[in-house]
Amino acid sequence: MVIGPVGAPGTLAPRPLVAMRGITKSFYGTLANDGVDFDLRAGEIHALLGENGAGKSTLMNVLTGLYQPDAGEILIENHPRRLDNPAAAIEAGIGMVHQHFKLVQNFTVAENIHLGWEETPRRAGAAALEARTQALSERFGLPVTPGARVADIPVGEQQRVEILRVLARGARVLVLDEPTAVLTPSEVAALFTALRGFRADGNAVILISHKLGEVLEIADHVTVMRGGRSVAQCPAAGASRASLARLIIGDLPPSGRAVAAPLPDVEPVEPRADPDPLPARDVADPAASRRPSAPPGIAATAGAGPSVPHPAPTMVLREVSVRDARGVTLLDRVSIEIMPGELLGIAGVAGNGQRPLAEVMTGLLAPSEGELLLDGASMRGIGPRGFASRGVGHMPEDRLRTGLAATLPQGENALLREYHLPPSTRFGWLFDPAGARRLARGIINAAAVNRRDPSIPARNLSGGNQQRLVAERETRISHRLLVAAYPTRGLDVGAVAALHAAMHRLRARGVAVVLISEEIEELLDHADRIAVLCAGRISGILPVAEADPEKLGLLMSGQSLASGAPVSA
Amino acid sequence: MSTRTTWAVQRVPEVSGGVRLLATALSAILALIVAGIVLRLCGLPPLALGARVLHASFGTRFGIEDLLLLASPLAACGLSVAVMLRVGLWNIGAEGQFFVGATGAAAVGLFLPVGGTGTTLALMALAAAAGGALWIALPAAARLVLGTSEIITTLLLNFVARLLVDFLATGSWRDARSSVTAQTPRIHAAFAKLPRDWHLGGLHWGIALVIALAAVVALLFRYTSWGFELRVCGANREAARYAGMPVGRRLAEAMLLGGALAGLGGMIELAGTVHRLQGGLSNSYGYVGIIVAVLAAAAPVGVLFSALLMAVVLNAGTVLQTQGLPASAAVALVGLILLFVAMGERLSHYRIAVIRPRATPAGTGSAAAASGAAE
Ligand SMILES: Nc1ncnc2c1ncn2[C@@H]1O[C@H](COP(=O)(O)OP(=O)(O)OP(=O)(O)O)[C@@H](O)[C@H]1O
Ligand SMILES: [Mg+2]
Repeated sequence: MVIGPVGAPGTLAPRPLVAMRGITKSFYGTLANDGVDFDLRAGEIHALLGENGAGKSTLMNVLTGLYQPDAGEILIENHPRRLDNPAAAIEAGIGMVHQHFKLVQNFTVAENIHLGWEETPRRAGAAALEARTQALSERFGLPVTPGARVADIPVGEQQRVEILRVLARGARVLVLDEPTAVLTPSEVAALFTALRGFRADGNAVILISHKLGEVLEIADHVTVMRGGRSVAQCPAAGASRASLARLIIGDLPPSGRAVAAPLPDVEPVEPRADPDPLPARDVADPAASRRPSAPPGIAATAGAGPSVPHPAPTMVLREVSVRDARGVTLLDRVSIEIMPGELLGIAGVAGNGQRPLAEVMTGLLAPSEGELLLDGASMRGIGPRGFASRGVGHMPEDRLRTGLAATLPQGENALLREYHLPPSTRFGWLFDPAGARRLARGIINAAAVNRRDPSIPARNLSGGNQQRLVAERETRISHRLLVAAYPTRGLDVGAVAALHAAMHRLRARGVAVVLISEEIEELLDHADRIAVLCAGRISGILPVAEADPEKLGLLMSGQSLASGAPVSA
Repeated sequence: MSTRTTWAVQRVPEVSGGVRLLATALSAILALIVAGIVLRLCGLPPLALGARVLHASFGTRFGIEDLLLLASPLAACGLSVAVMLRVGLWNIGAEGQFFVGATGAAAVGLFLPVGGTGTTLALMALAAAAGGALWIALPAAARLVLGTSEIITTLLLNFVARLLVDFLATGSWRDARSSVTAQTPRIHAAFAKLPRDWHLGGLHWGIALVIALAAVVALLFRYTSWGFELRVCGANREAARYAGMPVGRRLAEAMLLGGALAGLGGMIELAGTVHRLQGGLSNSYGYVGIIVAVLAAAAPVGVLFSALLMAVVLNAGTVLQTQGLPASAAVALVGLILLFVAMGERLSHYRIAVIRPRATPAGTGSAAAASGAAE
């Protein structure tokens, strides 16, 4: 049934643990799943791949009882099962960890694990719950601190709590939606070890991911979706990054991907209103986005001797400290100069000051001490609007909470940075709905969002498409500086390449780019210099030529390069 | 692979005002039918009662005029609540702002010795708007500085406002020449009646003012960048701040405007219908205004229609009471209608769609959303 370029599994394969047959799920204006067949066998880790908006999350939401399919059936060990809600799914042994965690922040780890669980002992004290949690944690090889409040533990541990919650309820099928997007490399390794252990017990894992390297590392089997359909299924052994990327993007002319992707997208309001294909972004060829030659004389001169005439830095942070309302130091005397046309990478384990740094650089946070200059002028007392109007764009790390008003239409979200400027607004106050709509359409098209109807609420876009919208909106206004925090989270391979290419285009125009990332490889590939954040301080800045994963790792753990001793506080 | 045609219920993100109005009307009618069946089961003649209600509301010119007179303060209060809903805040205090606005207007009308009616009315309106805004200034400050819930503070100030009016109407502003002990003297500046040849001679220009206010608010929402900012502030304050909007200022402005609108409602009631400041000036208009705004999904022009609907419902209650039904029956009818209209509003977002999964690979068949509203 499934058209697999590598060939269907042999007849000796065990019969599937879970089989989805002809799953169809529509939303107004789109067919998110179009007759999808999907097989999952016991004892396998099955990667579910596909470009943004292909229907992966939707399919898994159907499997875990969150959505009811319009047509099709789900067989568990060959028996048709109705999964009316997530509780029924967990009853059937299927549990899911969503990309946005659903833990109660004010409860402890143990309380979260036991919340709404039949097997929670009735009158059990905190100590008993914590002991049970400790036992579960050891059994599944997922270390957690049972007594800690969820709000106080790192993202990686929160994710382990989510997984434990599901496994504790006896799940045999674990669905993970882009689980590694928020993890550090060592957390990813630990997660994979736990998943392998889970698989060894005869269970199965479905893993949605855009990171093909990880997929090849851990998956046994791969299913690829495109345009709401399952288009390929193959064993992971024998596949390569390139072959997977080809399956994901499809055999289309590279320049036409975004429009030519056969999305069954019917917009009853404005049926296929886009006669002219959007400006193609160079998406299909990741190599094309690799670092073009540095803009003349910029990167090379940064930090060079005084004899070379310095171009004036775009942004200067001088001994900038930030403390929160409780007086906790978030940034500690950070000094950075960012040159025009420079791509400065910020490495570091998440939570070491990345967010306050991005917010200080974009006017959302005022420095408690120190000074920040943009193009030589002090930015004291200037807020986010002032930064934006001076050409500073910002892709925030939390797109759903900060970057988007999720309940509002994507058209209005596209306008967030330009609603007060022509052609949206005339004379500084007169809003022109027609002009605004034209501009919004332009931004949505340029962002290559898979759904073009501006009236769709932003929350109904797939995760990667939300990120594309934010990326386009912010690169548009970045005339001087773009601060991008984890900008590739949730993007598919093509969109990642397109975003990197867009950053390099900015850089070539003399715009400075600050790329905050946890992926060392991404930083080494694209940055001119890499600064490392650790505990709110810059523990070192290296030109990319001198940087390597080892040195960066040392700096990330707070050691200085010279002595190997911790940086004195 | 399944390729047969199937169907699905889908949610539409946005529906037009016309569809929403239709849904509201149909739901109200359905609720009336249900109420009729219940009455029938109780052995009462639903059709006769219905005819009476219709006759009382629409059968005569006076009925229609009464209806509009009742609808106008409801619309003013509904607008007040709607403006604050735009930024995601609940104004439970339109009742109090209504009273304080009327108090301000009465002060001008009673004590300011100016000549022309026009000038006096303009000053009364200003004083009313200022009074209403003043009454919400404290909750606004508490909200912005301390984060205190405006729901509690605006609600509590209603009682203070009512006591203030009683205090003045029975105390220093009391009409000494009248035997009624709880009202001020008649205020002579009043809205003129509408022209005779409009055949609504019992109505005053204050009603036109309410309609104009709704239109102005609608225009502000749609055609100013300010209106856009209010919407974003209401949807996600953090995103609004990130986009560089002055969030605190916009919240304050929406609150003050909301207070001013309710205050103006008080002035219109005073100068158009009641002409004296008294505790009975508002018949819970501020509270009904909350329902009005919610029914209209906080759309300013929609508020005019839902105010009219609520006026009919309140009228029907009065009529039913005169027919020997208990007051609680009327309340139950109100509840039933509101329930149906609220459900209709939800359901108007759903469509039945026919789904045709593609039979052959790559881009032949597709989904076709068809069929009418589920409502
Ligand atoms: N609740 C919803 N309402 C309307 N449309 C939806 C809804 N959920 C998903 N969609 C649409 O269905 C399509 C598939 O979305 P889905 O989230 O499954 O994609 P995905 O493969 O997970 O993509 P990504 O890699 O970006 O996360 C998208 O076009 C999306 O806009
Ligand atoms: Mg997804």
